[in-house]
Amino acid sequence: MALEDYRSDMEMCCRCSICKFVPLEKLKEKQHSYVCPSIARYNYHTYSGGGRMGMGIAMLEKELEYDEKLLEVVYNCQMCGACDISCKYAMDMEVLEPINEIRIKCVEDGHTLPVLDSVINSLRTQGTMIAGSKARRGEWAAGLEVKDITKQQAKVIYHAGCRVCYDKDMWKVAKDAVKLLKVAGIDIGIAGESETCCGGRAYQMGYEVDFLNQAKKNMEMIKKSGAEILVTGCADCYYAFKVLYDKFDLKGNLEVLHITEYLARLIEEGRLKPTRKVNVKVTYHDPCHLGRLGEPYLHWEGKPVPGHIRIFDPPKEFRRGTYGVYEPPRDVLKSIPGLKLIEMDRIKEYAWCCGAGGGIKETNPEFAGWTARERIDEAESTGAEAIVTACPGCEQNFRDAIKENGSGLKVYDVVELLAKAIEKGGH
Amino acid sequence: MALKRELYQALEDVVGQENISEAAVILGSYAQRGRPRFEAVTLPKTTGEVQAIVRLCNRFKLQFKASSTGWGAYGDAGGPGVVKLDLRRMNRILEINEKNMYVVVEPYVIYAQLQAELMKRGLNCNITGAGSNCSALPLAAHQGIGHLSVSGSYGERNQLALEWVTPDGDIVRAGSLGSIGQWWCGDGPGPSLRGIIRGNVMPMGGLGVYTKAAQKIYHWPGPATFPIEGVSPHYRPSQIPPGFMIRYISFPSAEKLSQAAQKVGEAEIGFILMGFNPGMISANIATNNNEDLAYLKQFTESVQGPGFLIIMAGNSPRDTEYKKKALQQIIDEHNGQPLEAVEDPQNAGGFMWRFIRVTSSIREVARASGIFAGEVGGTDVFPLMHQYILRSSPVKQRYIDEGKLLADGTDPFVQSVEHGHAGHAELLIRFNKQDPESMKVAGEIAQFANKTAIEGHFGVPGHAWGDAVHNQYGPHTSNYHKWLRKFKKTFDPNAASESTNYITADD
Repeated sequence: MALEDYRSDMEMCCRCSICKFVPLEKLKEKQHSYVCPSIARYNYHTYSGGGRMGMGIAMLEKELEYDEKLLEVVYNCQMCGACDISCKYAMDMEVLEPINEIRIKCVEDGHTLPVLDSVINSLRTQGTMIAGSKARRGEWAAGLEVKDITKQQAKVIYHAGCRVCYDKDMWKVAKDAVKLLKVAGIDIGIAGESETCCGGRAYQMGYEVDFLNQAKKNMEMIKKSGAEILVTGCADCYYAFKVLYDKFDLKGNLEVLHITEYLARLIEEGRLKPTRKVNVKVTYHDPCHLGRLGEPYLHWEGKPVPGHIRIFDPPKEFRRGTYGVYEPPRDVLKSIPGLKLIEMDRIKEYAWCCGAGGGIKETNPEFAGWTARERIDEAESTGAEAIVTACPGCEQNFRDAIKENGSGLKVYDVVELLAKAIEKGGH
Repeated sequence: MALKRELYQALEDVVGQENISEAAVILGSYAQRGRPRFEAVTLPKTTGEVQAIVRLCNRFKLQFKASSTGWGAYGDAGGPGVVKLDLRRMNRILEINEKNMYVVVEPYVIYAQLQAELMKRGLNCNITGAGSNCSALPLAAHQGIGHLSVSGSYGERNQLALEWVTPDGDIVRAGSLGSIGQWWCGDGPGPSLRGIIRGNVMPMGGLGVYTKAAQKIYHWPGPATFPIEGVSPHYRPSQIPPGFMIRYISFPSAEKLSQAAQKVGEAEIGFILMGFNPGMISANIATNNNEDLAYLKQFTESVQGPGFLIIMAGNSPRDTEYKKKALQQIIDEHNGQPLEAVEDPQNAGGFMWRFIRVTSSIREVARASGIFAGEVGGTDVFPLMHQYILRSSPVKQRYIDEGKLLADGTDPFVQSVEHGHAGHAELLIRFNKQDPESMKVAGEIAQFANKTAIEGHFGVPGHAWGDAVHNQYGPHTSNYHKWLRKFKKTFDPNAASESTNYITADD
């Protein structure tokens, strides 16, 4: 697909502005009613989903020259997909896909940001998006006694992800995840030093070719391992393996699960029994890539039916965020004795982004921090002691924002809290 | 043309560097396809900033145009030399006065936000039929007639005091605000400016900038928040609040429909009453276009003729009982027939909330093809407006038969305003905007509606904007267009307030 393929989608935009707000049926108060960080921060219509549709058409029509401001608009977006979901409450059109294609076009035309080039260079040379990282990729798993899938067969692969592997503060989450799976008796393995980036963020930054190269490498290794299930601890990786790899027909029969999905399943099956009390009042932040963007990819090929209504032959199903992963992380939290879960105003398909996605953490840390602060304020307003999430990217960004601005709010991964609730031996 | 550096710097001094842009990528997104671009876009935060921008435009002989949420091409520049004021940063609810039942808002508060805040306090507001995504400023969203107008009136009638930056940069505080600094009255003490400021259908950004306004609000007998569950787009309430009921009733003839609607008004039982056709009901429930077509077929086959959608909201069990009985009697007396799918417990709550929050107008007008048109009738006594729309609407079927429009249930819709005190009617058309023939039809339908209105003495409809249309109606309507031009000249001596969609001072 290319930007041109989404011309008719972009032309459908009627500039109604619903892409800027949470779905209006769900709006419960003025505060926390905006859904798109980009328009909320920068205010010009251009930064909204609708504004970006107009920009895409103008680029196709060659009405816009590449300049600094164009690139600033293009890259000041977390690619969180909130605009896409709010729009599709009412409309039959793609929004996030053309926004992604705009970035791909920028890269193809040789116009991008130097910092992104440096990140991609790291991917090309070191297999990770964490440029300049000093740690060794598999070091987090030291002492875990877990299978190395490049040498041994395992039914399940745990993919830790770049953000965990290269951040010592995140190692505990990955260790806990593996320990929990082992407690449940899962035949688990990791790729250790051989694990490389999923490539998902590269795709969302517009580097399609690099993403595809990375995806092919990963799938080659996974296929060789003979594993049937891949479990990710990171929402970005989940989106890449489950949705993007499928989009490009690379996933095959591999079952992709987020760790929270797997843990919820194991709890339901009685293979994990949270019995220890964890007395904490928490609120749950839905990571964009696990929630609204985590629903399965829908393959479709067809053409529009001529006439006065936009329908297709065969009928096209749009991904509207309906089938994202919303309940499993909540189910895990609800299974923990003593834990009290309080919901924020913006949840599930219309959750406010943590701010780190789409390359923003790298290109515009100030904007990433601003977006995180908005979420932290929202979490604090619930009266919760902690914000819990299921993505290391979100966790890092929240921690950075709290460190910079101060807040008593703690940040946890769902896995960490479950680990506290599981006695040694699984019950 | 680029702005003079002196002016750009002066504008930047007013709003700050972040809040002015003349970058091509920014300007492009404020011009709908093929329309002229603004010279710069500004994002003022206060009335003082708006005033300063307006004064600078006057001084440098440029035009300006303000808009809030900006749906529709009215907010676009009519030609070169126009500076945009995007009022997005003026987004505060300034006061909710529960005791005196009014609210004061800035232009970028949307109806959904306002309604949500009001419901927490047992109050509600009228919402423009275009949807709760539109500005809640009672002067921003066209006439402001909507689903709730049967019980919650509309913009012109609800508007109270306001703050207005005139086209030449004065700040006028109209109504009680101007004399005693309070918001509760739009007309004084002192002379009222309401007619001058609003005209028939609002100046559409062509007579200065409205920066704050108060409006009347109403009692809400429902819960503080509607108990909506599910994931988009499959939202519906877990339960229908006590006292609420929804029905769609079709009638054997348009005459019976009109009589029944008037009876509903006399009985004062309607919380919402909209004379929707089956196409608007199907668009409301359908989550995509394919579903829409399927529901349209089902509903069209299930109705006996034109109908209305009614939502009732009881204030007490006795009130609810009265309303139910009254409606049943009206249905019986006018041979009405319910559309069962609407009151089906699986559907009723979802329908109800979508109509109360007015979330589905986008589905109804834009989902089919991204564009819609038609005619926006006037506001006069209910039977007159009903007659007008019936006389002007058959042309739609002709174009449907010719394949130039979507066959979406050809009935226009007519609605009751203030419990039948007045009525309002519209005719919606949807079509493929890539088809030049269909685009032409949109203009032809509007022209046919104008001819019908003038020849039938139906008054000036709500779609009268721009010089040509006002010139057409004016001579038949007390030469009102000459008055509009006098207002324009008087308040806008430098023609600084861009008024392509209102009226220009040129005779």
